Amino acid sequence: MERNYMKLDFKSTLDNVAPVRVAIATFISNLNITVDELVDIKTAVSEAVTNAIEHGYNNKDGIVSVSAYIIESDYDIVKIIIEDKGIGIDDIELATTPSYTSKPELEHAGMGFTIMESFMDEILIDSVTNEGTKITLTKKVKNKKSSN
Amino acid sequence: MKYEYDKGNLSINLDEELDMKTCKKLRTVIDGYIMRYQPQEFIVDLSQVKFMDSSGIGLLIGRYNLLKLLNSKMTIINPSNSIRRVLELSNIAKNIDMRSI
Repeated sequence: MERNYMKLDFKSTLDNVAPVRVAIATFISNLNITVDELVDIKTAVSEAVTNAIEHGYNNKDGIVSVSAYIIESDYDIVKIIIEDKGIGIDDIELATTPSYTSKPELEHAGMGFTIMESFMDEILIDSVTNEGTKITLTKKVKNKKSSN
Repeated sequence: MKYEYDKGNLSINLDEELDMKTCKKLRTVIDGYIMRYQPQEFIVDLSQVKFMDSSGIGLLIGRYNLLKLLNSKMTIINPSNSIRRVLELSNIAKNIDMRSI
């Protein structure tokens, strides 16, 4: 059952990456969550939002949407959806290869998807060329369910 | 960011969150210091850095590659546990000396 959610729509500028990752971390901080789990989620969100701005919109104007859900099951589950209406990803397999970057001249490390995969339990990539990309990140909060 | 140059050692102390926005600015500034001093050793102190995503890996690898051209050594000191976990996902942890002091 979905216990709580929030949605943020914001302009695709790198200025917004820090406020958005902090907002998401604050939103889930009431859960019985460890500091490591919180930092993992914050880092994964930072990667996905940066990708939407730098790759999806290529730093041009656009709207990025981030929705965060707290879902009750045997554990608390955090689900975060990051969506853009940008250029999409042509080759998802290539894009998710560790150390691959489409922008080496900008010193991107090509580690964004590796971080999302390592720090979250599940990542779904749904992308259509010239229509946009939707990334769904899910993480089980390992501690016993919080009761509020 | 603070920096100090002493007898061939250039140390920088980063104190911001390392994401794409801050790294884009930092790399120009840091490269300016590296080119000015051409140090034998370049030391990056991460003890004040509270957050880092893959942009930080890109920043550190970029400086490592520049220093290699100058035959200089690079050392990362005092990464927090969470930053260490990010660094260890990349090859950087194998190539660059990392220690806590």
